[in-house]
This record gives sequence, C-alpha cells and structure tokens, in this order.
Amino acid sequence: MSAFRDLLGVAWTGLTARKVRTLLIMLGPIVGVAAMVGAVGLTESAKGDLKAKLAVLGTNLIIAQAGGTFGSQNPTFPDDAVHRAEAVSTVTSAAATAELASVVALPSQGGSDYYQAFPVPVRAADLTLPSVLEVPVINGRWLTESDIKLHTRSIVLGAGLAKQYAFLPGETRTIKLNDTDYGVVGVLGSVALDPDLDNAVFITQWAAEHDFATDGKPNKLYVRSVTGRTQETADAIPTAINLGGPDQVSTKVPSDVLQASAQADKTLQQTALFAGLLALSVGGLGIANVMSISVIQRSSEIGIRRAVGHSRSKIASQFLLESLFVGILGGLAGAALGVGIVYLVSSVAHWVVVVAYSRIPIWMTLALIVSVGAGLYPSIKAARLEPLETLRLG
Amino acid sequence: MSPTPAEPLLELEAVSRVYGEEVLVFALRDVSLQILPGDFMSIVGPSGSGKSTMLGLLGCLDLPTDGTVRIGGEDVSSLDDATRSRLRGDSIGFVFQQFHLIPHLSALGNVETALLYRHIRPAERRARAYAALDELGLGARAHHRPVQMSGGEQQRVALARAIVTEPLMILADEPTGALDSENSAHVLEIFDGLESPERAVVMVTHDPAVADTARRKVSMRDGRIVADERPQVAVS
Repeated sequence: MSAFRDLLGVAWTGLTARKVRTLLIMLGPIVGVAAMVGAVGLTESAKGDLKAKLAVLGTNLIIAQAGGTFGSQNPTFPDDAVHRAEAVSTVTSAAATAELASVVALPSQGGSDYYQAFPVPVRAADLTLPSVLEVPVINGRWLTESDIKLHTRSIVLGAGLAKQYAFLPGETRTIKLNDTDYGVVGVLGSVALDPDLDNAVFITQWAAEHDFATDGKPNKLYVRSVTGRTQETADAIPTAINLGGPDQVSTKVPSDVLQASAQADKTLQQTALFAGLLALSVGGLGIANVMSISVIQRSSEIGIRRAVGHSRSKIASQFLLESLFVGILGGLAGAALGVGIVYLVSSVAHWVVVVAYSRIPIWMTLALIVSVGAGLYPSIKAARLEPLETLRLG
Repeated sequence: MSPTPAEPLLELEAVSRVYGEEVLVFALRDVSLQILPGDFMSIVGPSGSGKSTMLGLLGCLDLPTDGTVRIGGEDVSSLDDATRSRLRGDSIGFVFQQFHLIPHLSALGNVETALLYRHIRPAERRARAYAALDELGLGARAHHRPVQMSGGEQQRVALARAIVTEPLMILADEPTGALDSENSAHVLEIFDGLESPERAVVMVTHDPAVADTARRKVSMRDGRIVADERPQVAVS
C-alpha cells in the first residue's frame, strides 16, 4: 500500500513538474469529453424545449381535414361532423372551423389590393375551439354564445396576425369582412400544433351563415383523444365523420411532426457524439505521441530511478499512472467544459438546460481507457530503457 | 543481508561481456574480481579498457554474457528484475560524473528517490533524506533544485542520495570528473570519510591523483584486469 502511495506521488510529481506538457497531453480527453457532453447536452436542451412544448400542448390532438373526392372544390364535412367525431369512444372533445374562401378581410383602411392578393384566412369557428386546442385567449375574449344570440359581429385575431397588425390590448378596432365591419374582441394565443391558425381571423358560425350565406359546413376538425390512444382515434375518425367514405377525410397528429423533428435532432446528436469519439481517439494518439517523446526526454530520469533500485514494473507503472491522471483530470475538465458550453448556449438560445449527467461517468471512463491505452506503449518503452544507455557512464 | 567480513560483498567470476550480434565486441574478457568489506578501490584504465562495462556489471545495471556476478553470495543473473532492482537499491549507492539528479525535484526530493518503494513512511523518508543532506553540509539547500546549485553541491546531493540507503558498496563513476580542483578535493574528502570496515567504495576514474587516494587499485586494458594492486600486500 505504501509502495502504491509512493508510486502515486512520483506520477503526480512527474505531471505537475511539466505543466504545459501535461496540459497539452490533457487536451485530447478534454476536447473529446467536452465534445460528447456538449453534443448530447445541446441537442437534448434543444429537444428539451420541444419536449416542454409538447408537454404543454399534449400529444393527443388530431386534426381532420376534409379531402373531398378527386376534383371537388372546397371540400367540406357534414354539418354534424363534430357530433360524429365525439361519438368515437376515445374522443374527449372536438371543435370545427370552416374556411370562408370567398370572404376578404381588410384589417386596415387602404391596402385592399394587397389583401386581395394575399388574403387573410377567415374562419367560422366553434365556441369550444380554444378549449379543444388548449390555447388561451391572450387578449380580450373568445367568441361566445352571446355573440350568436345578440347577433354581434365579433372577430378574434390569430396571435401572429395581432402582432402583424400591432393590435394593442383593449384597443377598439374594426376589420372589414367584404363590406361588413367586425369589432375585434380578442386575440387567440399562438397555436403551436397548427400555426396556420395564428394568421387567421375567427367569426361565429352564425355570422358566417348570415353575412356571407355559407352553408355552415366545416372543413377542418380539431379533436382531442384519450391520452395514449391518439393514433387509433385518428384512424377511426374518417369513418366516423364521413358518410361518403373514409377517403374523403385525412387526419394527422401534429405532435408527431414535432416528435419527428426531435428524432432528427437525435441524428445530429449521434453525429456530434461520433465527432467527440473521434476527438477522443485523436487525443489518444496525441497522448501516445507526447508521452513517447517525454520518455525519450526523461530517459536520464528513468536511468537514475533504475540505478537507485526502481524496477522496470515500477517505471512502467509510474508512466501508466501519469496517463491515468491525464485521463481523470482531462475527463473532469472536459466534462466541466462541456457542461459549461451547454449552460452558455442554452441560456443564449433560451433553451431548457438538459445535461446528461448520468452519461458523464461513461464518457469519463472512456477517456480514462483511451488515456491509459495510449500511455501503455510509452510506459513499456520507458520500462525497457537500459539504464546503462541513459546514464552514459565512463 | 550483511555478509561476514571474510565473504566478498561482490564477486565477478570469469565474467565476459560481449556486445553485438554479427560483429562481436568483447568489452570484458574472463574477468574475476572480489570486492571485500572495507575495500577502498579505484578502477583505472584508458578509454575502451572496459571500465564502464565493469561498473555496469558491478552496479547490477547490466548482466554478463558469460560468468557469474554475485552480490552477497547471490547470483544476480538468476534473479528477476524486481528482485535484482531491490538488491541493487539495498546494496549499492551510485555517484555519477554528471551527478544525474532529477531536474524537477529539489535536493531533498532527489535524495528521497532512493528511499521510495521501501515501505518507509513519508515523514521518516523525508527525515532520513534531510539527515543525509545535512551530513554533507547541504541542510540549508535541501529545497533547492539542481539548477540552483553549484557542481560541487550537486555532486554532494548525489553522494547524499548514494549513502541515504546505507548501502554496503558505493560505486562512483569519475566522481570528480566534472568538478574544479577545490570541489574535487572536497568530494574526495567525503569519499575518504565514507570508508568503513563494512562498506566498500569503488571509484572508476582515469585521473591518477584520484586513483591514488584509494588503497586498492585495479588497472584495466582491453577488457581485462592487468593489475590489482593492494597496498597491504606491498607493505607485507
């Protein structure tokens, strides 16, 4: 035990005596581990933001779109599509919207040509839409029963549009739909799962039918399912809501797109992880190289140690322990650097910081194995040095 | 470990050392020599006479091609490296012409190097190393590095390293070769003081003045011992 303590002391002194060289040797494990911690941490942090978003939005929203038969224009669902969807046992709630393609919205005086060319989508929406989407109304209110009963011409803006129009909370503003004025009563929060809604305006079904003589048939349905049964619900909806045949309805689960994007990040993560491994391997070669040179430079020291009675195995162990220290210190410094990078980038990018602490010991062990493996050849080389050759007697 | 006075501390018996495989170089040819406790010996000879090879074999740093080297009666060729290294560390203290101190260690650290891996507690090791340095007048320089010391001081640190293990034999390779006359005289004085009935001191040198300070003079030429002069024989 005391011999091992002596060995630790000798190896530690050997490293600390040449700080710049030691730092150069340590660069390999530092860069390798930092790259791996950083790569996984950054992609996880970017995904963490996405995951947080998904946790809020839920993964059980289904969007059903009327497809119509080949060549049909403006396909729609039956009037009672919402009730039909709600008849599916795994559906918890549903709301419909109908796009009013013939209605032109003029949000401000003038600019009618622009809005003719780039029309703002106008949608007749169910009163339950925000609750089905689980999106709050960020300003004012949503369309209500009173709007229908009292025949008020109320309109709600999508979040993107409100920003574009510089709509201020509480501001009195009217928007012309064709030639009819509608008063803005609120702004719907951003709908991450269907960003198209952010740039639309919403009116009641009554207003759509009364002012624009539409048939009130929806063309888009938002459905919430029981958690964990989203896909089978999405598969059942086309049959449930379209008597003309399931082909005329397409459904999608928008959270799948986000999850797919998270999956795409995984490929990036694996690439970065591979780059980290590569850096570690190159670092290992660096360690082997610098330590081999170091053995030559320290041949006199090796000769002296052999002369005073240190065995070949002690000399090999000394150099191997130096490699071990390089691996431990380099791994620790690399992990700290990697974590630092993750915190720095995440704070700049406003991500949720996710550091894979549980995996750091694995990477550090890897750095340790690479360092000790790389130190093996120089250690054997040191042990094989003949003291007579290094001491130059006579 | 301590042999009886009659037993040689170290013995070469018909030792040859040949280098090379295709072209053979006979560095030592059939050399026999006994080093006894109390010997104060110099080994002299011109360049290429085999002095260095002899020193390597005496110091257990090399093994003979033929013949036997015994330390304390033990054939060193039959020992594994670890045992041979321990035997070397326990029995022999080296002093080199170029001092051969480890540059990044202090004088104390250099002397302590000889006491490593011997199951000695660090505090005791440090105390013994300091005592050895102090004995040679270097107590105040214990924490200086070799580069901060003069040649004479460095050689005394090397001497302290050689004696700190209390070896039975001190092997010195041109111990005054890199020193001025004043420091040489000082170092030789120290060597003189190292003499004891239990210990042998062997100096390899080409300096006749240094060789003359020894009481036994072994002369070498062409890998052979050509003379082994013992003053006590001359006296008798």
